[in-house]
Amino acid sequence: MTKAERIDRIATILILLLALAVVGLVITVLGLILIPGISHISWHFLTSSSQSFETGGGIFDQLFNSFYLVVLTLLISVPLALGAAIYLNEYAKQNWFTDSLRLAIEVLSSLPSIVIGLFGYLVFVLKWGLDFSLLAGALVLTILNLPLLTRTSETALSQVPNLQRQAGLGLGMAKWQVILKIVLPAALPGILTGAILSAGRIFGEAAALIYTAGQSTITVNYQDWNPFSPTSFLNPMRPAETLAVHIWKLNTEGLIPDASAVSSGAAAVLVLTILLFNLGARLIGHLISKRLEK
Amino acid sequence: MLEVENLTITYSEHPVLKGIEMAFPDHQITALIGASGSGKSTLLRSLNRMNDGIASVDGHINFHGVDINQPNANVYRIRQAIGMVFQQPTPFPMSIYENVVYGLRLRGEKNRQLLDQRVEESLRQAALWNEVKDRLKSPAQALSGGQQQRLCIARTLATKPEIILLDEPTSALDPISTSQIEATLVDLKQNYTIIIVTHNMQQASRISDWTAYFEQGQLIEFQPTEKLFLNPKEQQTADYLSGKFG
Repeated sequence: MTKAERIDRIATILILLLALAVVGLVITVLGLILIPGISHISWHFLTSSSQSFETGGGIFDQLFNSFYLVVLTLLISVPLALGAAIYLNEYAKQNWFTDSLRLAIEVLSSLPSIVIGLFGYLVFVLKWGLDFSLLAGALVLTILNLPLLTRTSETALSQVPNLQRQAGLGLGMAKWQVILKIVLPAALPGILTGAILSAGRIFGEAAALIYTAGQSTITVNYQDWNPFSPTSFLNPMRPAETLAVHIWKLNTEGLIPDASAVSSGAAAVLVLTILLFNLGARLIGHLISKRLEK
Repeated sequence: MLEVENLTITYSEHPVLKGIEMAFPDHQITALIGASGSGKSTLLRSLNRMNDGIASVDGHINFHGVDINQPNANVYRIRQAIGMVFQQPTPFPMSIYENVVYGLRLRGEKNRQLLDQRVEESLRQAALWNEVKDRLKSPAQALSGGQQQRLCIARTLATKPEIILLDEPTSALDPISTSQIEATLVDLKQNYTIIIVTHNMQQASRISDWTAYFEQGQLIEFQPTEKLFLNPKEQQTADYLSGKFG
């Protein structure tokens, strides 16, 4: 064996070991969350309300709140991020303004979520008078979500070949028509995948929500479909504890005797849901790109 | 129909075309030849204002006697009247049928019968009809490269332009597809004025009626093709044709 071959073999083994370490870490974390939790998941656990002092409570409200909050957040953040991405990729020229805009987005993405949460508490909850509400939570999650979503959308747009734009212009389309009818449909798989991945990210967020969406859940009526009615489950102005916040609260000040079991079960549900988001993102991206390739 | 008067085009202070004067003969194929960077593609792209916002234009490009760069000119109408086909096929990710009618739908054309008729007409003109008539609803991306390029020609024809600009339309294609496209272009000149940029001198001599030779942003010679190839007036043209250039 020559020296080069020996070094090559050692490097290969080293890289393999490092890769194994990462995989091992992920499997360990998943195992530690899922194994104690999964046995606690039952239909009853998923569909009944949580208890304050007794055992046997579920996580239905928290689970619903988490999903509803993701929907509200995406409703606000997708149009914003898409607008910013379209501006940056299709219109903006390379200059100090767009450079600083990109820098601002980068900085935003590295802010700790508790800082954004407290900002939301001061501005949305107190100043705007939204109180602890789903809306305040959604606004905070929007801030948290924008950088990632803008970047994935921008990447998706930039991967559309320039010739497609030129072909559209060459047919006499206006620029906005080219963007709306050619560029956006072609970038859709990437944008959708980014949105779903970001949904997984915000689904598990707790710190930013403690002081915005609140830590309590009022009794709501799941038959009341009018979002303006104060007791409706769709009312965005009601406080709403999400699953991640619930887990945090159970572990810090939980008063129910089965707090640790409920928290393990809830954590398992959380992880499995995020896993579903990720698999869903892959599936949708795969399906759409397959449809386009045909 | 299309004339260029004292045209100078500048990319960020750097002139790429200088004082071009030429009139493109109607219903003929004009080939623009020259080395890379000679300005021939820039000229082609400025003829339907595809250089808007990239390069600045001095002088006049007159289409039916009207300058296409004047402030109140409708750039969308111009691009529909002066269509363009690109180096690489650029089908949109939709069916063959939808690709062809795209420009018409854009104008708000909804009459089903007219759309159907225009699809057949354009695909026949682009010599693609027989190959795709049974699968108009299948995705355009499934076609071969040469078929895609003929589809793009059909898409341009569907809006009934008067002039068709082609920017090295066969450079990404195999010899068989290339000769099919060349035959298509020769057929098309009965109804359309065609201007083609090509790196392939055999192609220029095979299909064009007129040839313009460009060198470093200047129009060196513009002659009937046979004359330019067999008996060039300028030494520079002769050098380029015989491969002495560069």
